[in-house]
Amino acid sequence: MFMPKRKITGLLTAAMVLLVAGILIFRQSEQVDFSTEVKPILNKHCISCHGGVKKNGGFSVLFEEEALALTKSGVAAIIPGDPKNSELIKRLHEEDSEMRMPYHRASLTDEEIKTLHKWIKQGAKWGKHWAYNPVLKPTVNWVSQQAGFSDSKKKYQGIDFFIHEKQKENKLSFSEDEDSRKLLRRVSLDITGLPPTEALQNDWLTGKITYEQLVDRLLDSPSFGEKWASWWLDLARYADTKGYERDVSRTMWKYRDWVIKAFNDDKPFDEFTIEQLAGDLLPNPTQDQMIATAFHRNTMNNDEGGTEDEEFRVAAVLDRVNTTFEVWQSTTMACVQCHSHPYDPFRHEEYFQLSAFFNNTRDEDTHDEEPKLRFYEEEDREKIASVLSWANSNGSKKQAEALTDFFNFREPKYHAHLCEDFVNGELIDTKWLGLWHDGSCYLRNVDTQGADQLLMHYNSGLNGTKLTIRNGGPEGEILSQFIIDKTSNVTKSFPFKKIPIPVDLYIKVENPKASPQQSTSAITWFAFVNSLPGKEKEGYKEINDRFNSVLNSKVPTLPIMIENPSLMQRKTHVFERGNWLLHGEEVNPKTPEALNSWNPDWPNNRLGLAYWLTDRENPLTSRTFVNRIWDQLFGRGLISSIEDMGTQSEAPSHPELLDFLSYNFMNELDWSMKKLIKTIVLSKTYRQKSNLSPELYQQDPKNKWYARGPRIRLSSEQIRDQALYVSGLLSQEMYGAPVMPFQPEGIWETVYNGESWKLSEGEDKHRRAVYTFLKRTSPYPSFITFDAGSREVCVSKRIVTNTPLQALVTLNDPVFMEAAFHLGQKMKKHSNDDPLKAIAFGYELCMVSPISPSKIAIFHSLYDEALSEYQKKPELMAELIPDDANEKSAELAAFTIVANALLNLDEFLTKP
Amino acid sequence: MKNINHLLAELEQQRLEKQTRRHFLMDCVSKVGGLALAPLLFSCGLGSSKEKVNGLSLSERDLNPLAPLPSPFLPKSKSIIYLHMAGAPSQLELFDYKPELVKYNNKPCPESLLEGRKFAFIRGVPNLMGPQANFSQHGESGAWVSDFLPHFSKVADEVAFLKAVHTDQFNHGPAQLFMQTGSPRLGRPSLGSWVTYGLGTENQNLPGFVVLTSGGKTPDAGKSVWGSGFLPSVYQGVQCRSKGDPVLYLEDPKGISRDLKKSIISSINQVNSEEFDHYGDPEILARINQYEMAYRMQIEVPEVMNINDEPDYIHSLYGTEPGKESFANNCLLARKLVEKGVRFVQLYDWGWDSHGTDKANAIDLGFRNKCKEIDRPMSALLLDLKQRGLLENTLVIWGGEFGRTPMQENREGKTMGFKGRDHHVDAFSMWMAGGGIKKGASHGLTDDFGFSGIEGRVSVHDIHATILHLMGFDHETFTHEFQGRPFRLTDVEGEIIKEILA
Repeated sequence: MFMPKRKITGLLTAAMVLLVAGILIFRQSEQVDFSTEVKPILNKHCISCHGGVKKNGGFSVLFEEEALALTKSGVAAIIPGDPKNSELIKRLHEEDSEMRMPYHRASLTDEEIKTLHKWIKQGAKWGKHWAYNPVLKPTVNWVSQQAGFSDSKKKYQGIDFFIHEKQKENKLSFSEDEDSRKLLRRVSLDITGLPPTEALQNDWLTGKITYEQLVDRLLDSPSFGEKWASWWLDLARYADTKGYERDVSRTMWKYRDWVIKAFNDDKPFDEFTIEQLAGDLLPNPTQDQMIATAFHRNTMNNDEGGTEDEEFRVAAVLDRVNTTFEVWQSTTMACVQCHSHPYDPFRHEEYFQLSAFFNNTRDEDTHDEEPKLRFYEEEDREKIASVLSWANSNGSKKQAEALTDFFNFREPKYHAHLCEDFVNGELIDTKWLGLWHDGSCYLRNVDTQGADQLLMHYNSGLNGTKLTIRNGGPEGEILSQFIIDKTSNVTKSFPFKKIPIPVDLYIKVENPKASPQQSTSAITWFAFVNSLPGKEKEGYKEINDRFNSVLNSKVPTLPIMIENPSLMQRKTHVFERGNWLLHGEEVNPKTPEALNSWNPDWPNNRLGLAYWLTDRENPLTSRTFVNRIWDQLFGRGLISSIEDMGTQSEAPSHPELLDFLSYNFMNELDWSMKKLIKTIVLSKTYRQKSNLSPELYQQDPKNKWYARGPRIRLSSEQIRDQALYVSGLLSQEMYGAPVMPFQPEGIWETVYNGESWKLSEGEDKHRRAVYTFLKRTSPYPSFITFDAGSREVCVSKRIVTNTPLQALVTLNDPVFMEAAFHLGQKMKKHSNDDPLKAIAFGYELCMVSPISPSKIAIFHSLYDEALSEYQKKPELMAELIPDDANEKSAELAAFTIVANALLNLDEFLTKP
Repeated sequence: MKNINHLLAELEQQRLEKQTRRHFLMDCVSKVGGLALAPLLFSCGLGSSKEKVNGLSLSERDLNPLAPLPSPFLPKSKSIIYLHMAGAPSQLELFDYKPELVKYNNKPCPESLLEGRKFAFIRGVPNLMGPQANFSQHGESGAWVSDFLPHFSKVADEVAFLKAVHTDQFNHGPAQLFMQTGSPRLGRPSLGSWVTYGLGTENQNLPGFVVLTSGGKTPDAGKSVWGSGFLPSVYQGVQCRSKGDPVLYLEDPKGISRDLKKSIISSINQVNSEEFDHYGDPEILARINQYEMAYRMQIEVPEVMNINDEPDYIHSLYGTEPGKESFANNCLLARKLVEKGVRFVQLYDWGWDSHGTDKANAIDLGFRNKCKEIDRPMSALLLDLKQRGLLENTLVIWGGEFGRTPMQENREGKTMGFKGRDHHVDAFSMWMAGGGIKKGASHGLTDDFGFSGIEGRVSVHDIHATILHLMGFDHETFTHEFQGRPFRLTDVEGEIIKEILA
């Protein structure tokens, strides 16, 4: 039902041009397929002037009704059933170059014109791009991918069947199976990011375990999560700093740990999706589900002075739309921000309907990145429990729930940047409310919900500032009045007059002791929370003290998503031409027409959106995920444009295979990521030798038809981890705050930012790469050199490059030199007096395979040369070997040199 | 015209092909540093067209993504030196002379200029501030240059001024990104990346796109201003530093002599070559090539980055002091780098954000000192390029990411201790000089306050279109496919500024 039939038709078509009329009549009866035959022609030749961006002559071929509508000239360019009178066809034949289309470009081929002609003749039926149709149940059964395939009727099963079919069409065939050691190294690097452990090597090479058992053991290793997290964190744009100009640190690592655990627990991809997009909206969310929502708090946060928080809040919302659609739908939504999509059937207003799903969260690009989830220690947890139980028994369950939320993430609250109409006051560095003596401002439309207590977060360098809050203006009723004294950052409670309706607060301060234009305090936020009930009861004071102490307890935090309460709902508007200041019509949350339909049972919010994405009718989620996993393992997707599956994307190389895997990922594998990976690595396609002959290279340079195994350079993380692993330095420690391994001096020079790189101590210097501190404006340099990104925006695919700067890293970076020294030490320890044996041992540690005689000769001569150099120049030897080493000898130095070369071999840097 | 241009472009292409081929062969044969790489003979003899290597049909770019390519159209310039003053210098104290503004000094800014506008820090009604420098006309062109730039005023005839540049970003980070990548948001390739992607570089022993920073900080927008966005990372800028390794990890580890390093690389490449015999994967050939280049880079980068051996007259021309991180040193390095065939040299000098919040960023104090720091070296750069015959095929660009307000900043409504100006997007000045640029030209005019352009307004996209044109590209057709659509540096805009072309 897919491409192959079309392809054959295409071939036949070409051959039949010269054939007799009788056959032409036969052809006429065949239906032209819009999606595979017509749309590519329109996209290639017409749509750049007649599409989402430009609609020259009032004509667009993007949507059906636009294409069939009257154009500026007053007639329709396409008249279904009547190609001869259709302007579109006429213009293709024009002689006058000013009239002929495409305007001033090469004309269409006869074959293309014929296709369009026939399509209009047959009624100009519009159709959907293949990727927007649901994934249908494949005709080929899901055969268990167990080793020792059972169904003997077919030569190849599952994945291999589809791959083999395409190979036959291209006169190719499978290569033989990779030898067991290379396969072991390949699959181990792919699943855990590390070489196989010694135990696993023994079990596999002695035949104690089957290949499937080997794969299971690798998938069970905790290293699996660490390896695959790096990939997901590129999509999630995870980093340890906020980005933009000041780029100061943020504490996000609990989210990174959540991702690692999710992979290791094999959290089904639908749950994995729902929790990250809307964990906070699940009924009674667990702490882990709240942590997951930090996915969309990885957006950047702008602290630059003079920037308006609302502008960057909006930027974050739009980034969430774009990232969600790139990550789950392989769809580029960014262009729809300014106009309808130039090629794909997404309309301008649909973009903002999508943004409406994300436009009602509490985060507002404030400096403190609230709302943040708080992680309390045992002592605080006990205090909280006692406060809650007090509130429950003396007040109401509702009050206890509101308090729970406030303890957990301090919402709802009003940020200082909402203040306006300053008199004798300012928004300090466009962040904090700073009123001078006799200063005032307004905080408008505040819904205190009748609370009798104000909570205020602030600091002050002065004693005795009188702060008065009035209702409506300078003459309004006093709602609260109190004195602020000198303090570092503190959250304090003050009595507040109950007001049942939203009001404008007039805030006034007086402190004659303040110098002119000196801010009396810096206020971060205001919140309105009912005071604890039972004031008359014994023990109240202690409970209230506990309440205030917990509010000021210094605890680890994590920015999370929290939906606006009804009193803070924002309206969403279309932005005219994408400009956030130009509001068009108001829109409500809605998913695009071109995709799967909405189930009315779903809540119309982020949670519903997550259900919609993981609904089995959604045509893109499973295909996208399968395509990405395939790309991770083979270095190329079944659709090569990993970030885009739209109408402009390259046609899938194996459409049936893509759908076979996508359908079964949802239905047979129940969204299990581990099972999907297992299915793929068990295939013969994956297990082939990766050797390449000139003929094969000529035929298939990019390995599109998989007549050989995947041979790809390792990622920056794998390269570092592998070097540390083979030299015995790699720490087994998992999780926790990011670490700072060795980095050259003078890398961090960010403006208005006093932070510096502080070398981690002990084994933290040798943790896996995924734990390395990632500063967006200045990422870890050797990772950047090996194509890792800065994680400022979502990245679907790292482009692998091959540069001299990479060679400089692995040759000279002290991290790799340290690894070389330790590897050299291991080699020497193994065979102190037999360099040949030692070299063979070192090589096998690195490559898992034994060394060839010619290679050992090359390294032996390098060893001899180094040895004689270090014997002659002991001062050089002393420089090479670290000061704290137990042993200093020319032999050890020479082994270090050989190890340095081993860590630089192409085969070491590449998955075999 | 078009036909002649095509012919010339073809000639240039042939010349380039011969040259690269020759260089490549020479590099292979001479084996710089005596690298004994016997198994590598097969990697010689590659031209830019596909040729057979060990039975594989490969182009030079398959082995070296920075191999030079001819421009699609006849280029006017071969390389670019871009001097970016990070923080945005005041045009009103340098090139945009506004005598009328003197009269309004300290008077409240007319409401009409403030209506519906947002500023980064100005609140309420600020006062106007007259120019804090003295202006006079210079050279045959009669260019207005202030006394903050006495040296530069002597070379004013070499450059073309743009007096009415505008942008739409008034915060540093986004504005720098916009100026350098054509988009205020992250993820797009920088100008230097586009140019090296399109043209490669002439000298394979040096990076093709070099970044030099001074002023003690990297630009506000971080390293993304020289990032490669969606282009392969090989096209990102390489930061060359004055302290520590000039290029990260360039220096050999302690205890490894040059001879031994040569043997290490030679061993690696011999084993890799054996690996190639086994796998037949051309990526291995590329890696062998990269290791040779790395070795040569280790020799050539420190050489070019070392200014100790420059003659005294050069040091006094630029005002350079070896061993320091300074704009002056970077200007001299920029000349050395383009002389050696580097395609794109990007300088960032930080410290131009003259708000007047303290002495260091006061218009009449810190700003004046910054001018002193750049005046001599940037003038020397033009003179030195000229005397070496390099200026005719090197494009030199000077500017910030936006301009400064004609009003004195009143940060958040406060009176300030020092004279400063806020960020301004409507009008600011830039200049270009060298290959393809009309000497002594001045394009664009601002109103009496220097607030808005009233004639010859040019956008950031226009500047990019012009730069690409000078490098031999049509900015509308120079694209890269990503996310299912062709992306270009100038997005959907950009007009070539013909008025400043020679």
